[in-house]
Amino acid sequence: MSKELIRLRDLCMAYDDELVLDHLNLYINDKEFLTLLGPSGCGKTTTLRIIGGFATPGSGDVLFDGVRINDVPPYKRQINTVFQKYALFPHLNVFENVAFGLRMQRRPDPSDPKRKSKLPEEEIRQRVLEMLEAVSLKGFENRRTDALSGGQQQRVAIARALVNRPKVLLLDEPLGALDLKLRKDMQIELKRIQQQVGITFIYVTHDQEEALTMSDTIVVMDQGSIQQIGTPEDIYNEPKNAFVADFIGESNIIDGVMIRDRLVQMYGRQFPCLDGGFGENEPVDVVIRPEDIDIVPVEQGQLTGTVTGVTFKGMQYDIIVDFRGFKWLIQTTDHSPVGARIGIKIDPDGIHVMKKSRYSGLYGDYSSFSDEYDELDTVEPEEGGDET
Amino acid sequence: MKRQNRAGSRVLMALVFLFLYAPILLLIVFSFNRGNSNTVWMGFSLDWYKSLFQNRLIMRSVYTTLLVSLLATAIATVAGTFAAIGFYSLRRQARTALNTVNSIPMMNADIVTGVAMCLFFVAFFSFWSSFAVWFNGIQSLVVLPERLTLGFGTLLIAHVTFNIPYVILSVGPKLRQMDKNLVDAAQDLGCTWMQAFWKVILPEIKPGIASGALTAFTMSVDDFIISYFTAGSSSSTLAMTIYGMTKKRVTPEINAVSTLLFVTVLALLVIVNLREARAERKGERRAASRKLAQLLDTPKGRVLRRAAAGALAASFLIAVVLLTGATNAQPMVNVCSWGEYIDEDLITQFEEETGIIVNYQTAESNEALYSLLKSGAGDYDVIVPSDYMISQLIEEDMLAELDFSQIPNYALISPRFKGLTYDPQERYSVPYAWGTVGIIYNETMVNEPITSWSALFDSQYAGNVLMFRNSRDAMATALSYLGYSLNTTSEAELREAFQLLKDAKNRGVYQSFVMDEIFQKLEGGNAAIGAYYAGDYLTMLENNEDLRFVVPEEGSNWFMDAMCVLKEAPHKDEAMAWINFIASTEANLKNMDYLWYGSPNQEALEQYPAYYEELYEEELGQEAYDIIAAPQEVLDRCEAYLVLPLETRKLYNDLWTELGI
Repeated sequence: MSKELIRLRDLCMAYDDELVLDHLNLYINDKEFLTLLGPSGCGKTTTLRIIGGFATPGSGDVLFDGVRINDVPPYKRQINTVFQKYALFPHLNVFENVAFGLRMQRRPDPSDPKRKSKLPEEEIRQRVLEMLEAVSLKGFENRRTDALSGGQQQRVAIARALVNRPKVLLLDEPLGALDLKLRKDMQIELKRIQQQVGITFIYVTHDQEEALTMSDTIVVMDQGSIQQIGTPEDIYNEPKNAFVADFIGESNIIDGVMIRDRLVQMYGRQFPCLDGGFGENEPVDVVIRPEDIDIVPVEQGQLTGTVTGVTFKGMQYDIIVDFRGFKWLIQTTDHSPVGARIGIKIDPDGIHVMKKSRYSGLYGDYSSFSDEYDELDTVEPEEGGDET
Repeated sequence: MKRQNRAGSRVLMALVFLFLYAPILLLIVFSFNRGNSNTVWMGFSLDWYKSLFQNRLIMRSVYTTLLVSLLATAIATVAGTFAAIGFYSLRRQARTALNTVNSIPMMNADIVTGVAMCLFFVAFFSFWSSFAVWFNGIQSLVVLPERLTLGFGTLLIAHVTFNIPYVILSVGPKLRQMDKNLVDAAQDLGCTWMQAFWKVILPEIKPGIASGALTAFTMSVDDFIISYFTAGSSSSTLAMTIYGMTKKRVTPEINAVSTLLFVTVLALLVIVNLREARAERKGERRAASRKLAQLLDTPKGRVLRRAAAGALAASFLIAVVLLTGATNAQPMVNVCSWGEYIDEDLITQFEEETGIIVNYQTAESNEALYSLLKSGAGDYDVIVPSDYMISQLIEEDMLAELDFSQIPNYALISPRFKGLTYDPQERYSVPYAWGTVGIIYNETMVNEPITSWSALFDSQYAGNVLMFRNSRDAMATALSYLGYSLNTTSEAELREAFQLLKDAKNRGVYQSFVMDEIFQKLEGGNAAIGAYYAGDYLTMLENNEDLRFVVPEEGSNWFMDAMCVLKEAPHKDEAMAWINFIASTEANLKNMDYLWYGSPNQEALEQYPAYYEELYEEELGQEAYDIIAAPQEVLDRCEAYLVLPLETRKLYNDLWTELGI
C-alpha cells in the first residue's frame, strides 16, 4: 500500500515495576487510519504518548521516517494530538486556540535565512479560517471555548492540531465524552477529515465499534502486548485468540479438538470447517459468532440445547441456549420461547478455529450474559496518561 | 410569631457584630479624639494623624514594613508558584504528604516559628563567623564579613518563609482544576515547557497567584511575632513599633496608626474577595482585556511592553540596591530604650546634625532586654537599662567602658546622680532619666488624703485598689510599708511582705494587678488607688483633675535609667556621639518635658520651670515640679533597687507564683 512512517521496536515501559508495555513491535504506514484498541490499562494510551513524545520508553526505539526520535521533545515532532476532553486553552477563544500552534512556529526568514521569523499574521489568519471551515466551525472564531458544545469543542481540538499540517495526528479517545448519536456522526466526520487531509491518524479507543467503523488497521492490545493486527474484517472474522474474539463483537468460544484439517470436534461431535494447519487431535478454541448460528428443529440440529433466556433487541433476538451446561449466545430473527428445546446448525464458514492461548477458558460462556453486558457498559471511559 | 423571631434573630446578629467590631470601632473613634485620652472624648480632630505622619519612627517603620512585605511577597509568590507546580506534578501520595508539611508552618504557633528562626539565624551566624575567620585567614583575595547580625535580611528571609505556604495553598487548587493535558497540548503545539508555563499555565493559575500574593502581603504587613524575633535591632516593622509604643501607654497616635493598618488590611481583603467574585463572571471582561492584549501584541506594543517590564525591574533593583547601600554606607547607631521614652524630635535633630542614622528600638522591660541580649538577638549599641540591671550587666561583663573624652556633656550631670551604687567608678553609664514610685489616688473616692502605703492593704478600699503586675514593684510596696529594705534578702522579711499582699488579695482589696492599664482605670474613675511612676501621674492628671500623687511617708523606690554601650557594639563612636547628644542640657529639657521624668542634668533641672513657662505660657507649679523631679529630702526617703542574689530572685518567683495572679 504505502510506505512505512513510524516503527516501534521492542518497546518496554514500566510504572512502579508494573510492566505497561511488553516488547511491543509495530509499524504504521503513511496515510493510514490505525486504531489501538483494548481495555483499560492495556497500554494503548502509553503507546500513543510515546509516539507523541509525552512519555519516554524504558527501552526500545521509536523511529519516524527511519530516524530514531526517542529523545526528541514533543514540540519538535511533526505530530499533533487531539487529547481526551480536548484540552482546549480556556483563556483563549476559538480562533486563538486554533492559531496557537501557528504562532509558535518559526521558519527561516526569506530575506535573511540565518534568522528565524514568525509566520505572517495574514497567513495565520487564512490558515485558521480555512481549517475552521474544514471542521464546519466557520463563524465561531470569537466564541469562548467553554461556550461550545462537546462536538464543537471536539472539532476545535481537531482543527487546532491539523492546522499545523502534521504528518501524523494522534487521537486519544476523542469521542469518549460525547453522547451516542454525536459519537456516530463524529466517527464518519473523522474518517472524512482523514481522507481529506490525507495524513496518518493513530486513534486510541476501547470501543470496538468505533475501531471497526473507521480504521484501515486495528491493533488489538491487552496487558501491554499486541494480540492481533489486521483490517477490521480480519480482526472480526479471524480472531487470533479468545481475547480478540471476545473483545471484538460477541463470540461463543468452545473447547474443541482439531481432528484433522477442516474437521473440528466439539461436544463429541464433528463439524466441518475451513481451517487447517493444526496438529492432529490438537486441542483448540472454537469461535462461533452468534449470528452465524441457525436454529433448526431438534431432529435436524447438529447440537441440541434448551433456551434459557430471550432478549428482544429490535433487529434480532438475543437467545441464550444451554448446551450441556455451557451457555451460547445466538442472534436470530426467529423467536424461541424460554424452555424450548432447539437444534442448531453451523455452516463451515461460521466456525473459526484458534490455537489455545493464555486466554483460553476465560471467555465465551454466556452463563453470566447480563453481567457481561453490565461490564461492557461500565468499562471506564477515562483512561488517562497516568494509567499505571 | 414568625416576624418576632426574625426581629429577634436580627437583634442577635447585630449583637454578634457589635461584639466583634466594637473594640475596633472604639479604636477608630478615639483616633479622632482631640485629647490624649482613650476613655474621655474631647472633640474631633485629625491631630493624631498629623503627628503620626510627622513621627519619623513610625514613618520609617511603615517604610520598612512596606519594603519587606513587597519584597517578601514578590519572592514568595515566585517561589511558591513554582513549588506548587512541583507539588502538582508529583504522585498523589507524595503530594498529600508535602501539602501536609506545607500547612504546618501556617498552623504552627507564630511564636514557635519566630523563636526557631531567631535561634537558627543566631546559630548560623556563629557558624558563619568561625568560617569567615578561617577563610579570611587562609587567603586575602576576598574578605568575608566576620560578624553577621539580625536585620533587614533576616527579617526578609523570615517573611519569605512564612509567606510561601500561603502562595502554595492558593495556587495548588488552581492547578488541580486545570485540565492536566493542557501542558501536553501546549508542548504538542510547539511550546517548550517554559513557553507552555508562560502561555498556558500562568493564565490559568493567575487568579490563584494573585490571591496568594495578596494573602502573603496581608500576612506580611500583619505579622508581629515572627518579625519581633528576626528583625534584630536595626529594623522595625510597623507592628513592632506600635507594640513598642504601647509598652508605655496607648496614645491616640497608636489608634491612628492602627486605624490606618486596619483599613489597609481590610482593603486588601476586600480586593481578594472581589477578585474571587469577579472571576466567576469574568466572561464580560474578556473582550476588553483581549483588546488590550492585541494592542500590546503588535510589534510596537511588544517593544513598549518589554521596555515597561524592563524599566519596572530595573527601578525595583535600583531601589533595593540604593536602600541596602544607603543603610550600609551611612553611619548608624542602634538604640534600644523603652516605649514612649524619648521626644522623637531629638532623633531627627541628631540625625540632621551628625548624619548618623538612628535605629530606635524599644524593649518591654529590663528583664526582656536582658534575655534579648543573652539570646544574641539584641544587636544594639546603646541601651538604657535601669540601675539594678546595669550592675548585673557590669557583673557579667557585657558593657563597654565609655570613652568620656567623647562625652563632654557628662560634666553637666548633677553630682548627686554620679557614682551611684550601680556604677560607683563612673565607667559604664551616663544617667538618662530618673523618677520615683508613689501612690496615685482619686481624691473624690477616698475619705482623707493618702500618705501611707497602708492604703494599698486597707479593706475600706476593697475592690478599688490597683497593684503592680510585676513581682519586684509589688513586693516593694509591701516591704516599704513594713519598713524593710527594698533589697532585703531575708526570707522572713520577704515572706512577711508576701503574706501582707496575699491577705489583702484574699480580702478582695485589689481590683486587679496592672501595668499600663492603670492609665485607663484611674483616668476613667474606675479605680480609686494605685501605685505607679511619678511621671505617669502627670499624664493622667491631664485627663482627670481629681487625681493626686504622693510618695508615701515610709519611703519608696526611686530609679535611675542610664545609657550604656554594649561590649559587642559595632558602632561605638556613633554610640558615644548619641550619648553625648542626649546628655546635653537642651536634649534633657526636651525629654523632661516629654517624659515628665526627672532629668539628671543639673542645668536642665534648674532651667525646666522657665522652659515650661516659655513653651506653654503658664507657670509650672512647685508641686508639679516636685513630682517630676523629687526634691532631695524625698529621695533620701527612697531606695534604689539593687541586683538581688539568685536565691532571692528565685524566692520572688516562687512567691509570685504562689500569689497566683
